[in-house]
Amino acid sequence: MENSIRVLRAERGWSQATLADHLGVSRQSVNAIETGKYDPSLPLAFAIARIFEKSIEDIFSDQTLTKAAE
Amino acid sequence: MTQHTFKSARKRYQRVFWPLMGVYVVAVLGGSYYLSTLEVEPTWLKTVIAIAVTLPIVAALFAMLRYFDETDEYSRLFQLRSFATGAVITISAIFAVGFLQIFEVIGSVDVFWFGPLFFVCYGLAHRLTGGRDC
Repeated sequence: MENSIRVLRAERGWSQATLADHLGVSRQSVNAIETGKYDPSLPLAFAIARIFEKSIEDIFSDQTLTKAAE
Repeated sequence: MTQHTFKSARKRYQRVFWPLMGVYVVAVLGGSYYLSTLEVEPTWLKTVIAIAVTLPIVAALFAMLRYFDETDEYSRLFQLRSFATGAVITISAIFAVGFLQIFEVIGSVDVFWFGPLFFVCYGLAHRLTGGRDC
């Protein structure tokens, strides 16, 4: 699953550690989500969306579903 | 239920784990030294010391389980994978050594060493897969 967390984080000038502190997770978790190695649970995805004041769909996109819809 | 963050869970774990390891080292060294000073080592005393040495390890394992519950989801996945890798290697070694003994290929092996083997494998699996911060 792709996401725009790295971009949103950069816009705010936050490091991975800063975002991790906001979310209450490890810096490695943020890195794994950003690089697509790990897909967050629904509660964590909601927490990420809340912090960036966006909807989940604005941040996460499933390329497989998008391609299937096209 | 209290909501723990990754940092608070890790702090809580380390606050319990390291003192327990201190107790373990003192119990091992103190117990061994005390037994070595006795001319006759009573079985009941050796039993008490063996259990006293084991208790901090058991408590540390429960502290690890609590940490797995309280840490964040990715760290939990990471820790459980490393833990499972350690368990797979150790259980495989137990079966291999067990059958080698049954077929009388090797003599007796101290069961004790499978415990450290598990922790070494768990630690290595954790390090080698990049779990430095988890």
